[in-house]
Amino acid sequence: MLKRSSWLDAARKLDWEFSYVREEDVFPEIASGKPWLFHDAWKNWDEPFRTTYAEYVKMQCAKGEALGAVREAVGKPEDFEKLPAEWRSVLKLHAATLPLAEFAAVVGNLRGARFGRDSAWRTMATLGALDELRHTQIPLSLMHSLVRADSQFDWTHRLYHSNNWVAIAARHLADELLLASNAVEFAIGTHYVFETGFTNLQFVALATLARDVGDKMFEAMVHSIQSDEARHAQIGLPVLEIAMQHDRAYAQYLLDKWFWRSFLLFAVVTGFSMDYLTPVEHRARSFKEFMQEWVVEQYLQSIESLGLEKPWYWDTFLSAVENYHHMVYASAYTYRASVWFDFVVPGPRERAWLKSKYPSTWDMYDPIWQSITDRWKASDIGNDFAVHGTAIVTFCDMCQLVLSGGTPEKNTANTLAYGGKKYIFCSGPCRWIFTQEPHRYQEHKDVVKRVLAGEAPPNLIALLTRYFGLDYATWGRDAFRGDYPFIQRGPW
Amino acid sequence: MIPLYGFLQGDTIGTLVLAEDDDTAQILADKVQASARLRVPTSPRVRLLYRGHAVDLDATVLQLGIQALERIDVVRETP
Repeated sequence: MLKRSSWLDAARKLDWEFSYVREEDVFPEIASGKPWLFHDAWKNWDEPFRTTYAEYVKMQCAKGEALGAVREAVGKPEDFEKLPAEWRSVLKLHAATLPLAEFAAVVGNLRGARFGRDSAWRTMATLGALDELRHTQIPLSLMHSLVRADSQFDWTHRLYHSNNWVAIAARHLADELLLASNAVEFAIGTHYVFETGFTNLQFVALATLARDVGDKMFEAMVHSIQSDEARHAQIGLPVLEIAMQHDRAYAQYLLDKWFWRSFLLFAVVTGFSMDYLTPVEHRARSFKEFMQEWVVEQYLQSIESLGLEKPWYWDTFLSAVENYHHMVYASAYTYRASVWFDFVVPGPRERAWLKSKYPSTWDMYDPIWQSITDRWKASDIGNDFAVHGTAIVTFCDMCQLVLSGGTPEKNTANTLAYGGKKYIFCSGPCRWIFTQEPHRYQEHKDVVKRVLAGEAPPNLIALLTRYFGLDYATWGRDAFRGDYPFIQRGPW
Repeated sequence: MIPLYGFLQGDTIGTLVLAEDDDTAQILADKVQASARLRVPTSPRVRLLYRGHAVDLDATVLQLGIQALERIDVVRETP
């Protein structure tokens, strides 16, 4: 029997010269990406895992069985009901945003499996597509079944099929990065920036918090996914290395663009989870500290070792790590009926913890939480709409998230007139991304533009129910109905 | 009706403000403050900035030439 090393490359790295069709027709730039190079430039492309299909199937089967055992042991609705109320919102947030984004990543990987420029890349991308299908099915299966315990889990399936503002923002990112990108942009944006650069926040840091909270099912799910991601993320680096050799400016542009767009998503999903929705006694470190270790230091080290530059907006990014998720969380708390998961008010203990973790910025947020706390004091328990915004909030024409850039003292929203229309952006980097490829973004309407065009209702309740797809039974509330030990009411 | 992006100093988000031609800048400032009052208590003395400059609070939207989908800022006066 042949040794593995003797036959491996015939199974995973087998390219040939085309005799009756041109290479640029087999791999057109629109699908394969740029810089467009003849295969000679890609022929040394390789990745370290070198997994065969047989090995893949065996390994994934074992992981599936292990996860099934965890589900049997701790994944039932009664296990969910033992979790802290605020942590349940972490699950709901991930349950809705994760699975169908992973499904879009199947398409991105399949584009790499067909249009990647070397056969080893295409082989790994094929396995990557199977990975992402698995990452769609696992959370759908594990989390949607919790709908028996909590009807908000219906959003596990529903989110991406709705016009909820979070869905609009998530689709804007996922459609571009995962569905519409060519193979090179997908490899750099998804595998190198998003997966290699950011997902340790989820796979290492958030998994640690899940363990501390006692959520063994979430921890097991994340670990099971992580080992797949660690493998197929390896596609990114060799693509980036070859791309930067031939078009360094374009490679830098892709890094800078997708670093910012990825950060905004993780700041909301992971930032909320770490700094607000994890009970304070289980918080090991802050979102900022995790970002510092797992993203800032590692990403900088990685790009500098390649000879690339940190993004031009680095100072803006560092400020955003201190501010952005606080800006969005306080805003979203006061519009919690616009989403499908519940929020909590940080009390004195949580606010002291946040002050200790964000000493240079928290003083700008503390008065806002005092104002919200005071409003709850004057309102009945459970009367969420007494402590809820009523005005229509505004959205960025690039990221489609709310205009919460900068700080409370200086919001960085900025307007642009282009092609006879007016646009507004939450930040300098979002404006810059738009202006680099305006044809890609200019026709997309944010929620406000849809309201002004008559496509979405201007009344808040109508917007929530008829456009965002929510209803009274499932829209977001205060997780404790405003009933906190630190809020003393009456006597009136 | 003129849609504007309103930002209140101390707040975390911009809100959509619908202005009339004959609204004064003071009325606009009141609308922005009302939109944000759950998060930021209303202040009796404010300035309104349009294109980065403070405007006369008695001047109207029409007089000030405020255009649709522009940004306006409300800044609290320090005592």
